[in-house]
Formats: sequence, structure tokens, C-alpha cells
Amino acid sequence: MTNAKIMIVDDDPDYIKVVKTILEKEKYIVVSAGDKTEGMNKIKAEKPDLAILDVMMDAWQDGFEMSRQLKKDPEYKNMPVIMLTAVENRTGIGFKSSAGDPTWLPVDVFLDKPVEPDILLSEVKKLLSNKAENGTGI
Amino acid sequence: MEPVSENIRLLKRAYWLIRLRWIAIVFVGAATYVSSNFLEIELQNAALYSIAILLAMFNISVLLLLNHFAKRGNEVSHVAVKKIINIQISTDLLILTVLLHFSGGIENPFVFYFIFHMIIASILLSLWDSYLQATFAVLVFGLLVLLEYLQLIPHYCLRGFTPNCLYRNKLYILGTLFVFTTALYLAVYMASYISVRLKRTERAYIHANMLLQEKDHIKNEYVLRVTHDIKAHLATIQSCLGMVVNKVVGPIGDKPAEFIDRAHIRTIKLKNFVDTLLKLTQMRLNDKLETDVFQLRETVHNAVTAVSTKAEEKSITLNCDVKPSIDKICGNQFSIEEVFTNLLHNAIRYTPEKGTVIINAKNGKSCVVIEIADTGIGIPADEIGDVFDEFFRASNARKVHRDGTGLGLSIAKYIVERHGGKIWVDSIKDTGTKFWITLPKGSQQKQTA
Repeated sequence: MTNAKIMIVDDDPDYIKVVKTILEKEKYIVVSAGDKTEGMNKIKAEKPDLAILDVMMDAWQDGFEMSRQLKKDPEYKNMPVIMLTAVENRTGIGFKSSAGDPTWLPVDVFLDKPVEPDILLSEVKKLLSNKAENGTGI
Repeated sequence: MEPVSENIRLLKRAYWLIRLRWIAIVFVGAATYVSSNFLEIELQNAALYSIAILLAMFNISVLLLLNHFAKRGNEVSHVAVKKIINIQISTDLLILTVLLHFSGGIENPFVFYFIFHMIIASILLSLWDSYLQATFAVLVFGLLVLLEYLQLIPHYCLRGFTPNCLYRNKLYILGTLFVFTTALYLAVYMASYISVRLKRTERAYIHANMLLQEKDHIKNEYVLRVTHDIKAHLATIQSCLGMVVNKVVGPIGDKPAEFIDRAHIRTIKLKNFVDTLLKLTQMRLNDKLETDVFQLRETVHNAVTAVSTKAEEKSITLNCDVKPSIDKICGNQFSIEEVFTNLLHNAIRYTPEKGTVIINAKNGKSCVVIEIADTGIGIPADEIGDVFDEFFRASNARKVHRDGTGLGLSIAKYIVERHGGKIWVDSIKDTGTKFWITLPKGSQQKQTA
């Protein structure tokens, strides 16, 4: 899928700039938002093909909540969601293994911040092609 | 050690009294038998044996009563247990008096066994209850002596032990009663004095411990928050530098590229350090460790695979021997694998080229024993005791590898101990190091530790 539109929601403008540069180099159209509310509004307005969310924005779990909200909405539930985060919590809670669990953590892929450009691009590409084939990212 | 709640402690003491009473019952039977058969002391054997049986029946009743209360577990009523202990002590005092009546009354030196009851009462009961029990003992025993003196009840002389009957000797009676009474009250006073102070000190320790735990929790949360914020900034710095290093934004000159490269590498190292610190703090804050049954063999192999490239780079022979009898164990597979990977990484890092690194797993009695050995630089003997301390790095390790965090072994120890296992190390400088880990085989069921 060329020229797919990707939404980045992150409270760190520098990080948005990095991800945006990586994605734009591959000819994706990138839109961004700095918090959950702006993110939800822009998703409604821009109707992106994929969203990349940060877990921790203004509040600890803004990214989680946003992904839940999106997956509940019939209009966006098929939009693939990548969760990018600096929260490392595999030991104990193990939420990374819960990626794809539609009730608890409804995201398609979980990636550690900072992510290697190649890994990010390959995940984006994979999710977009899955979406094109099956109508869903998962 | 977890503090035991007051009611549970009291319940345990009540059971302790029951155990003491069983000993007393055996003692009464044995002493009666020995005294009458071997020492030729005249005793009311039938009465004494009957009392021993009565005491046994009383003990069984108390045991049943306590078991009934104990069913409530932590909810057991403090007041109810205290009442049972009061009843136990009063009944003991009464039965001891009857026992003395049939074995010489005031002539029997066992009258001073009342002191034991006073000490027990002072430890278990309130000061007021203890003095009440002492008064009860003095009154009951005094009444016995008086009734025998007035010949309202018979006196059974302890012939064979005392040269003549003393129950009518006023001076002897008053003297003994005086010493008896003062001994009882003094015993209560002294035992309570010590007991109250001990309890007070213990309470102070528990309180201090609680405060410490609370402060430690606050500190950990603070570290977690700070390291997380640092990590977020580092991640962005690393990503921005990565854009230049990976030439995503176009080429730059060789000189600037060299400095950007250095900055990039140092950022990665700093981020790894923060990651590790964050992980340790999170584990400490997270009391729950999700466990499941998993194949230890697989975990060992995963760890070996994870480090095999590093071993190949240094031409290190990496041997892995997991005994076929090793079965599944219960634990958090991810963290156990991390422990193995970490120790293997260390072994490879500190072993010179063409050395050997071994990981073995065999069955112990109730645990699995994992051994990770290398032919590396070893740990200096005087530093071996510190290797599991946070941020500690052996002096020779710092020379070989400048950038270690000093947290890997602390994490390994924490994880192993959270699984109920043990980790220790043996090492000879310049020869090699051997780490041992034991992990309990545990129940084969999924549980949350």
C-alpha cells in the first residue's frame, strides 16, 4: 500500500520528528498529535490507515486507553495500532505478550522505544498489507 | 520475618500450654509410680492416677475448643483465646491444689510449681489477669492448708518423705504460706516486668520495620519514575542520533560522523544501564511474580542460543548438558531465562578467547541444580562476597569491560530468591568462575507466587 496515511500520537515532538522522517522517507503520509484528545480528533478528521501510539503521554496509560477506545469503535477497529513505548515491564506483568489480546491490550504490535527504523518500517508494511488482505491488522 | 498478629500468636501459645500439660500429665503418672514403688513414699496412688486422667480429659477438651476457634484462621477472636488461656491456668491451679491435697498438702515441695503458672500467666495475660491468677492460687492453696489444719478435710501425710506430719505446725504453715505468697507475687511482678518491656521493644521494632518498608517503597517508586523519564529522553536522543548514524537524513562528513557515532554508542550504553536499573526497581515494586509450569531444558537451550553468536565471535566452546531426567519446573520462565542468559553473557564476556563456558542442569533432592562455569578471569578472593551487591563490579572485570552496570547479578539473585532458590559462586582468579543455582521443583500447578 503506497501513500498510506499514518497517525503518530506521542507527547514527545522530537520523537514524532524521528518517526515522521523514517516514515516519510518511505513515502508514507504522516500526521501527528501530541496527546490523546488531539489524537482522537485527528484520527476522526484524517482517517489514517494505521496509528502509532505512545503508552505514556499526559497520564500513565493514555496510550492504552486510546487503543481500547479505537478498537471499540466500529469505524476504527480494523485500523492497525502499533504501541511504541519506553515502559519496560515484561517481568511480572508481561503486557508485551498480551499484544493482540482484544480485551486487555487491543494493539497489533508492541515495540520498544527507541525502535530501529528497519523494524518499524517492516512492522508498518506488514500490518498495512495484512489490512489490505484481511481488512484487519491482526 | 513477617510479624505474626497478636491473636495468632496467642493461639499458638494456648497450644503450647496444651503441650506443656501433656508433659505434666506424664510427669504426675511417672512421679507417683516412682515415689510409691521405689522411694517408698506413702501416696494416694488411686487418687493421683485419677487426677492425671482427669487432667488428660481436660486437656483434650481444651484442644477441641482451641481447634474450633482456630478454624477461623486469622479471624480468631483475641478475647476468646485469652479467656481459654485464663480458664486453662485457673483449672491447672485448682487441679495442682487437689493433687497436692492427695500428696501431703503443705508438706509437698511441689507447691512451688505454682510459680511456673505465674510466669506463664505473666507472659500470656495482662498484668491484672496475672495478679488475679496469683491471688486465686494463694486463696485456693491457703484454703486447702486451712481446711487440713482445721481437720475439716483429711490430710494425707507424705510419710517416707517428711519425718513427721507438719500440717498442724503453725510456724511451719505460716512460714511456708508467707514464702509461697510472696514468691508467687514476686514471680508475677518480675516476669511481667520483663514481658511488658520485651513486648514494647518488639512493637517498636515492628513499627520501625513498617516505616522502613514504606520508605523503601516510596524510594523505589521515585527511582522508577525518574529512570523512566530519563529513559524516555534517552530513547529520543538515541533515535535522533540513529537518524544521522544510519544516514536516514543523508550523509555527513567523516569527522562529525565519528563524534556522532561515539555519542550514539554512549547513549545506547546509558540506555541499557537505565533499562537494567528500571527492571530491578520494577521487580522490587512488583510483589507478584506470575508463574507457570515450563520445561527447564527449553529455557536453558534458549539462553544458550541467545549467547552462541557471542561465544563464536571469541571462539569460546559453549557446552550445554541438561540431564534427561530434568522435568518441568514451576516459575516465571522469562525471568529464569534472563538469569541464565545474563550469567552466560558474563561468562563469555570475562573468558579469554578459545576458553570454555559450560551450563549443566541436574536433579537435586527437591530442586534442580544449574551450574554455569567458565575458564575466565575469575573474581578476586576478597571481592567474592560482594558480587551480588547492586552496582558492584569486580576490579579485574572493570579492566576487561569498562561499561558493565553492576546490576546483572543483583537481578539474578533477586529472581532466583523470589523463586525460593539459591545462587552462589565459587571462583579462582585467573582460572575461572562457577555459579550454582538451585530452583525448587515446586508444584506442577500454575500459581501466583
